[in-house]
Amino acid sequence: MSPFFLGLGLILGGGLAAARSGTLFRFLVAVGCVVGSVPAFAVLAGGAPRRASVPVHLPGGPWVLGIDALSAWFLLIVFGVGAAGALYGVSYLGRWHDRARAARAHLLLSFLLISLALVVTAAAALPFLMAWELMAIWAYLLIVYESEKPDVRQAGLLYLIVTHTATLALFALFAVWGAQAHDLTFDALAAAAPVLPGQGAAVLTLALFAFGLKAGVVPLHFWLPEAHAAAPSHVSALFSGVMIKTGIYGLLRVLLLLGGAPAWWGWTILCLGVVSGVLGVLWALTQHDLKRLLAYHSVENIGIIMLGIGAGALGMTYHQPVVAVLGFAGATLHTLNHALFKSLLFLGAGAVVQATGTRDIERLGGLAKRMPLTWAAFLAGSVAIVGLPPLNGFVSEWVTYQALLAGGTLDGPIRLQVLAVAALALVGALALACFAKVCGVVFLGQPRMPEAWSAAEADRGMLVPLFLLVLACAYIGLVPAVAVGASVRIGAAVANVGVAGAGAMPRHLVAAAQAAGWVSAGLVLLVALVALGRSRRRARRRPRQPTWRCGYAYGEPRMQYTASSFAAPLIAAYHPIAGVRVERSRSAFRSHPTDLVLEGGVRPLWHGLRWTAERLRPIQQGRLPLYLLYVVATVILLLLLSCTGRAA
Amino acid sequence: MNWMPLASLALVLLLAPLLPGVATRTRAFLTGRRGAPVHQLYSDLAKLWRKGVVYSNSTTWIFRMAPVAVVVTAMLAACLLPLDGREAVVSFSGDLIAFASLLALGRFALVLAGLDTGSSFEGMGASREVTFASFAEPALFLCFIALVRATGSLSLGGMLGGPLTNAWPAAAPSLLMVGAALFAVLLAENSRVPVDDPATHLELTMIHEVIILDHSGPDLALILYGSALKLALFGALLVGVLVPRAHLPAAAALALLAAGLLAVAALVGVVESAMARLRLDRVPQFLVAASALAFFAVVLLLW
Repeated sequence: MSPFFLGLGLILGGGLAAARSGTLFRFLVAVGCVVGSVPAFAVLAGGAPRRASVPVHLPGGPWVLGIDALSAWFLLIVFGVGAAGALYGVSYLGRWHDRARAARAHLLLSFLLISLALVVTAAAALPFLMAWELMAIWAYLLIVYESEKPDVRQAGLLYLIVTHTATLALFALFAVWGAQAHDLTFDALAAAAPVLPGQGAAVLTLALFAFGLKAGVVPLHFWLPEAHAAAPSHVSALFSGVMIKTGIYGLLRVLLLLGGAPAWWGWTILCLGVVSGVLGVLWALTQHDLKRLLAYHSVENIGIIMLGIGAGALGMTYHQPVVAVLGFAGATLHTLNHALFKSLLFLGAGAVVQATGTRDIERLGGLAKRMPLTWAAFLAGSVAIVGLPPLNGFVSEWVTYQALLAGGTLDGPIRLQVLAVAALALVGALALACFAKVCGVVFLGQPRMPEAWSAAEADRGMLVPLFLLVLACAYIGLVPAVAVGASVRIGAAVANVGVAGAGAMPRHLVAAAQAAGWVSAGLVLLVALVALGRSRRRARRRPRQPTWRCGYAYGEPRMQYTASSFAAPLIAAYHPIAGVRVERSRSAFRSHPTDLVLEGGVRPLWHGLRWTAERLRPIQQGRLPLYLLYVVATVILLLLLSCTGRAA
Repeated sequence: MNWMPLASLALVLLLAPLLPGVATRTRAFLTGRRGAPVHQLYSDLAKLWRKGVVYSNSTTWIFRMAPVAVVVTAMLAACLLPLDGREAVVSFSGDLIAFASLLALGRFALVLAGLDTGSSFEGMGASREVTFASFAEPALFLCFIALVRATGSLSLGGMLGGPLTNAWPAAAPSLLMVGAALFAVLLAENSRVPVDDPATHLELTMIHEVIILDHSGPDLALILYGSALKLALFGALLVGVLVPRAHLPAAAALALLAAGLLAVAALVGVVESAMARLRLDRVPQFLVAASALAFFAVVLLLW
C-alpha cells in the first residue's frame, strides 16, 4: 500500500505547488498517478490484495483501506484519467484566467483525485462515506469555477442537492446493513449479508437509488448534463470519465459484498440500462451544446454498462457463471473504455471551446483544416464511442453483446435478456448518427460563423494528453487480449465464481478477443496501404473545384446542413420522447432541447416543495416569545403522548 | 489449408458487380424495356478507374479516405461470413458483432465524407442514411438473435453453418420470417426500392446517391464497388439462412451460392418494378415492420 500513499502525497504536493508553478503541478500529479497505480497493476497482474488498517476510536470499527481486483481496476481509471486531466488543465486554464484562480482549480483537482482514489479503495463504511462526501464537495467547488455566470451557479446548486440526496441514501444503506453486522468494515458487512431481511431488498434498493443517482441512470440523470456543461472541460472529463463511475463501482461493490441479488434487481438494472441507453443517446441527438451533448452520451454509456451489470446479476441469480462473468467483464471493461474515450472527447471539446469561444455547434464548422490534430483525436474518440473497430469501444460492446446473447442460448427466464441486444443495436446506430452530426457540423464543411474562421490549433500542453488517450484507446482496440483478460478476472471475482467456475469460457473469450484484434489490425493496415497507394497515384494531378451544388452557382457556408436539420428526421420519428420544443416562424426554424425528467418531473416537484414551505412560513415570525411558546407546546404534547402511551 | 472459404470469397468479390446489373436488367425486362447489359457496372468501374479525380475546395483527408474505408470494411466483413455455408475465412465467437460494426464503420466514413463537402444536398443524404440505418440495425440484430437462439452458436460460422441445417426442421417458421426481415434490411441497407431509388434523377429525393455526388474517378469506382459488395454480402447472408448448404459437396455449395446471389438480385429487380418507393417518412414504418417480423421470429424461438 505504501506506493499508493506516496502517490497520494505527491498529488497533494502537486496541488499545493500549483500556485508557484503549473509545470511543477503537472509533473508532481503525473508522477503521483504513476506511482499510485503501481499496487493496482500488481494486484491486477495476480498479486495478493493489499490492505492498510487505521485503528480509530470511533464507532464503526477500524478504518480499512484495501486494493482488491475491483478497486485496482477503478484506481487505474482514476489515476489514468486524472493524470490526463491535470496535464491538460494547466494549458487549458492558463490561457484564459489569472494564475491565482487557475491555481485554486488545480488544488481542488488534486483534492478531487485524492478523494476519488480513497472512494474506490475504502473498505469500511465510514472512510467510504467521508471520501464520498469530500469528493462531492470538491466537485461542487470545481463546477462553480466560473461562478460569475448564473447558469453555472444554478447547475452547481442542482448538483449539490442531488449529491446530498445520494449521500443521505447511502447513510440509510449503511445504517440498515450495519444494524445486522458487528462493525462497519466491509468484511463485517459481507459476513452479515446472509441475515439481511428479504435477501437485502432494502440495501439493494437504496444502493440502486444512491449509486444510480451518482452514475446518472435515467430517470436520475437530470443533474448530469447541467453539471458537466458548467464545469471547465478537463473537469468535465474527470466527472464523466471517473466520478460518475464511482456509482458503477458502488453497485459492483455492494453486489460483491452481498454475494448475489434476487432476480427483480437484475431485471430492474437491465431495464434501466435499456432506458438509459436509448433515451441518453436520443437526448444527445437533440442537443446543440457540444458539452451537454457529450454529457448525454455519458448517460447512454452508463446504460450500456448497466446492461452488462444486469446480465451479470441475472447470471448470478440463475446460476449461469458464464453469463455472469461475461456480463461483469463487459461492464468493467466498458467502464474503463468509456473513461478513456469520453475524457478524450471532453478534452477535444475543450480545445474547440477554447479556440472558438463557443459551445454552440451550429456556429462552428470547418475546424478540421484549422485544428487538424484536435480533429484527428476527436475523430478517434468518436469512432471509439460509437463502438466501431478498430478502437476500444468496440471491444467492450462486443463482450457485452456476447453476455446478452449467451443468456439467449440458455433455458429458463434468463433467456429473455437476449431482447436487450436489439436495444443495444439501436443505441449503437443512434450514437453513430449523433457523432456523424457532431464531427460533420463542428469539424467538416465550411465555418458557419466568424468564431470558427479564426480558430487555431490547440497548444502542445493540451494535445499531448489527448494523444496519450488516443494511444490507450488504440492499444485496447488492437491488442484486446490483455484488457479482456483482466476484466474477465474481475468479472469472475464479482460473480463470486473464480475464473475456473466459468469453465473454458475465459480462455475462449481472450482468444476470440485476439482474433477480433487481428481483424482490427488488418483493417488499419489495409486502409493505410490502399490510401497510400491511392495518394501516390493522385499526387500527379489534383484539380480543386468548388463543391458541386447541383447547378446552383452561389453557395454560402450558412446554406450548409445544420445540426438541427441533420437530426430532424430522427427526432421526428421519436418526437414524443425526444423532448424537443420546435419554434417555427416565416423566416426561422429553431429547435430547443429540453430535459423531460428535469422539466417534467424534478422542477414541478421542487416548486411543489417550495409552495408547501411557503404555506408553513406564517409559523416562522422571528419573535422570541412565539418560539418559546412552541417549545412549551411541544413539551406539553410530548408529556401528554407519554402519559397516554403508559396508560395504554 | 482449406481452400473453400477463400474460393467462395473470391467468387463473391468477382461476382458482386454483376448483381446491380442483374437487378436493373430484371427491372427493365419486367417494364418492357431492353435495359443496360448486365455487365454494365464492370465497364463503369474500368472506365472510372482510368479517369482523373476532382476534389472540392472544402474537403479534407477524410473525403479521400472514405472510399477506401468503404471497400476495405466490406471486404473484411466478407471474410467473416461463411459464404460457402460452412466456415468463414476468419471466425471467432461474437464475429456477428464485428460484421455489423465493420459495415457501420464504412457507413460512418461515407457519411463524414458527405458532410466534408459542405453541400446541403449531401448533408441531407447523410442525415437520411443514418436515420434509416438506425431503424435497420435493430432489425438486423433481431434476425441475429433469432439465429443465435435457433442454433445456440455465437459465431456466424455456426449461425449459418452446420447447426443451422440441423435447426431448420424445428424452427422453419421462424427462419422464414427471419429471411423476410433480412430481405427488407437488404433493401434498406443497399438503398433499393422501396427505401431509395438508385435510378432517381432528383437530388432532393436521393439518399445514397446524393452522399457521393462529389466523388469522381477511382474514388467513385471504389464506392460503387463497395456498394455492390455490400449487396452481395447481404445477399449471401440471406442465401445462408434460407439455403443451408453444410451437408452438400463443396462445388454444389459454391454453385448454389452463385445461383442464390443472382436470384436475390433478380428478386430485388422484381420488387423495384412492382412497387414505387415509399415517401420518406414512411420508410421507418417499413423498417419497423421488418423489426416486428424478426421480433416475432425471436418470440417463437424463445417460447
